[in-house]
Amino acid sequence: MAAAAMCSVVMSLSRINQRLGVLTLNPVHKGAAYSKGVSVRGRRGGPPSSRPRREAGPPRWEKMTPDQDWTAVYPTAAAFKPSAVPLPIRMGYPVERGVPPAKEGNLELIKIPNFLHLTPAAIKKHCEALRLFCTEWPSALDSDAHCEEHFPIQLESRDYVFAGPSLRNPQARVVTLRVKLSSLNLDDHARKKMIKLVGERYCKKSDTLTLTADRCPLRKQNKDYAFYLLTVLYHESWKTEAWEQEKTVEDMEEYSWEDSPSQRNVLDTLLRMRTLGDSADAAVDTDSVRKELLASSEVQEYAASVSRLKNEGESESSVLQYREAVKKVLRL
Amino acid sequence: MEMTSCCSVFYFRNELAVLQALSSTVQRDPTASHYRFQDDPYLTPRTASEFKLFSLSQESGRNAAKYIINTYPNFFLKDYAEPHIPCLMPESLQPKVTEVCEAGLRELIHLRKVRSAVDMYDRLLQAGTVVSLELTNNLLDLICFYGDQDPVQGDQAEPEKTAEGEVVQDPAPRRKEGRFRKSDSLHRTWRKDNNAERIFHLMPERNERSYGALIRGMVKYGAHSKAFDLYTDMQNNRMAADVHAFNALIAAAPEVRQKYSEKWDLIAEMLKQMNKLGVRPTLLTFNTVLKSLLRCGPLSRALVLQVLGEMKALGIEPSLATYYHILVAFYRQALSPSTLSRTMLTTDLLHSMMDEISGKVFDALDPDDVYFFNYAMNICCSLKDLGLAYRVHSLLNVGDNWKLLGNPSREGFYYGSLFNLVCMMENIGVVLQWYRDLVPSLFYPNSHTMRDLLQALDADNRLDLIPEIWKDVKQLGLATVSGDLAEEVLALMARDEHSPEIQESFANCALAVKAVYGHGEQSQATLDFTASALCNMATILLAAGRTDQAWEILQLFKANNRVPSEKLLDEFLNSAKSGSNSEQAVTLVQMSSSFSLPATARLAQRVEQEFDLSEEQKKALQDVEATSDSDKD
Repeated sequence: MAAAAMCSVVMSLSRINQRLGVLTLNPVHKGAAYSKGVSVRGRRGGPPSSRPRREAGPPRWEKMTPDQDWTAVYPTAAAFKPSAVPLPIRMGYPVERGVPPAKEGNLELIKIPNFLHLTPAAIKKHCEALRLFCTEWPSALDSDAHCEEHFPIQLESRDYVFAGPSLRNPQARVVTLRVKLSSLNLDDHARKKMIKLVGERYCKKSDTLTLTADRCPLRKQNKDYAFYLLTVLYHESWKTEAWEQEKTVEDMEEYSWEDSPSQRNVLDTLLRMRTLGDSADAAVDTDSVRKELLASSEVQEYAASVSRLKNEGESESSVLQYREAVKKVLRL
Repeated sequence: MEMTSCCSVFYFRNELAVLQALSSTVQRDPTASHYRFQDDPYLTPRTASEFKLFSLSQESGRNAAKYIINTYPNFFLKDYAEPHIPCLMPESLQPKVTEVCEAGLRELIHLRKVRSAVDMYDRLLQAGTVVSLELTNNLLDLICFYGDQDPVQGDQAEPEKTAEGEVVQDPAPRRKEGRFRKSDSLHRTWRKDNNAERIFHLMPERNERSYGALIRGMVKYGAHSKAFDLYTDMQNNRMAADVHAFNALIAAAPEVRQKYSEKWDLIAEMLKQMNKLGVRPTLLTFNTVLKSLLRCGPLSRALVLQVLGEMKALGIEPSLATYYHILVAFYRQALSPSTLSRTMLTTDLLHSMMDEISGKVFDALDPDDVYFFNYAMNICCSLKDLGLAYRVHSLLNVGDNWKLLGNPSREGFYYGSLFNLVCMMENIGVVLQWYRDLVPSLFYPNSHTMRDLLQALDADNRLDLIPEIWKDVKQLGLATVSGDLAEEVLALMARDEHSPEIQESFANCALAVKAVYGHGEQSQATLDFTASALCNMATILLAAGRTDQAWEILQLFKANNRVPSEKLLDEFLNSAKSGSNSEQAVTLVQMSSSFSLPATARLAQRVEQEFDLSEEQKKALQDVEATSDSDKD
């Protein structure tokens, strides 16, 4: 106010001086130093207020009894109110050689989300109120296995709540469909084809196929798309195309011992061992010898151990089994 | 395993059902003020006037924002809200159609612009277009509803002239529910050269709706006899009025006849005609009948119950307004302050009424519903019947009935009277429980209530709670309203002897009370010291053993031109004796002589006898005695 008063005085002065053709500097922007030096009337603290400043009342928690109804104090999600929460909470980085700051005016406490509106008492009350809208759980579905059996497909979607100008959230359109392949009617070829088709959407450990649909703008559309996709995969995996005959060894999902280099190698080795042993019978029918060798139990054991090693990977028991089989085959 | 129906079915009764179910789990918080305020010790209102000020300022802020949005709609066109919220978008209050045509008239009627609509109608007639009957009826409805003047916009309240020519300022409309707005209709009367009548006579054909509109407008704005004339006109034209017109006529009936019996005859006549025409009466009809009956003097008592019986026979559920009118009919004489028959309440009507309506949920069906609870509580207070008051209060707690309590000032009256009754009749434990429950979430007590509370404390000998109550009094801003409360508090504290801790707390409280007196900051309401207040303060401080502060109070006597009582000086002497302070004793005697108290001589004698005095002290005493003797002469 002092500056404004000075400003008007200076302006009138400058107008007068301009008439006289004298230049004056505009001292208004010199800042506090100028106005303080000239303020004569002692109005440093501002003019006396017409009303005394209103005092804050006592905080509300002083009147709260220990057995009050807390769900009435915090019925909905609200910011932390230090006058309404009767707990002596401290939060924040400790003051120099002291304790964390108290709850009054503590921004840290206000920033974080609190769950004061969801105490166990409140949740119990809410559950009682919502019971009206619920129907009974069907008595036939009393175990996980039954649920699996009658409801093999699980759909998951998320709803988002946000207190802003717009209620919509684009992430709410995503739909995830989960189904176990064992509950689908697939034979061996179909299953392998299905797994190849879906790629990394199949989890081998839990035998679950997960399809996530988010390419449509609405949830309903995504759900329909997911079911459509499942149907298409199912039918496609049952079909056998002409070019599937060209499946090579590299395409195979699991190792099969027949016609593999291991089989050839072991038969060759055993044949050579035989022929070295009986060098006299030169005219030997190799095919029948091969068949006989194949049928022998050591070779079968060897085959089993090699398959196991290749399919399941190396572990102590499988490597030991391989060692035993090799020893038996080579008669060591 | 057979699965017949293994899917759980969700069904929502309506969109809000879940939210309503969850909100029904929440009760009232007794320590909080109304939910519309910020929950902060600085920002919550602590007195009734602050409550009004804060809520009005909130409303006015909202109105201002709405005004800005509507005046500059081009800045507020972008719509952020999803889904679209239509009430937040700017409304166009200016008519869009500019040329003279029926659509323009329709739009003006929709925007409630009475004068422009009448203008447009006249221009249409001049141009020769035939305006349809329905549109004319709509126009008549508009004019009759607003009394031939434009409705007042929120902040543009213009001074209106009544028939007497005084300028009356219309207050800004307040959107509190249940408030009966009398400000519009009381200040307007049905003028002789009315647009409505003129248009009515200009109409080539009139139907029941036109007559009905005109009758209702006339009754609303005070032209009762004209309404009846119009009604006879209607009968001559063999037209049947509808139920709303009949309601209006019944309301107007008491105004057009003088004697009580004639009034009732007219009302009965109306009802018979309704019956003849086959018009089915509604709740509002019966309520209007009851209201008009109240103007019929002593007939009301006898007939009111008959009307109630008729209502029930027709199967119409009575609303709170019905019960209110019945109560007024029976208790009106007993409650008025001018009659002497206050004790002659021989009826137990309220008891039987409460028997009937306990536990029922009422809706707001009539503007007079809000008067019921206040009147019932008033009756309970005069009857001094606490049980009945509890029954009325329990009716308030059923369902949504609390909404029928009216605006905050009415609520304040209701809770004030309830609390007064409780203070009078119940013991202190229950009183304190009610006090903590009601204040400050439901009402802000006034000084009368606080005085009742203090008396209740006194009656039950719980004076140790006084310091707490004083804190509340100070917070409510009642301390400086009138000096009575402060004086009473001090008197109660000074009266008896108490245990040391209580005396300590009393002493602290007395000092707090002292701060209220004297000079506060500029232009804060302050009280002047009174002699009794100062005496009590000094007594309390002495009793607590704070002699220095008590002596300070003695100095205040002189400063404020008040005279201490003799009893007080005796007490000071006692304390000086216990402290063996003869200096103080002598000063006391000198002080009493300066006030020219008759007890000076006695005090001087006492001092001489009980204290060991030095020579100069004895001399001073003798001087004092001499002056007092000379004064006596």
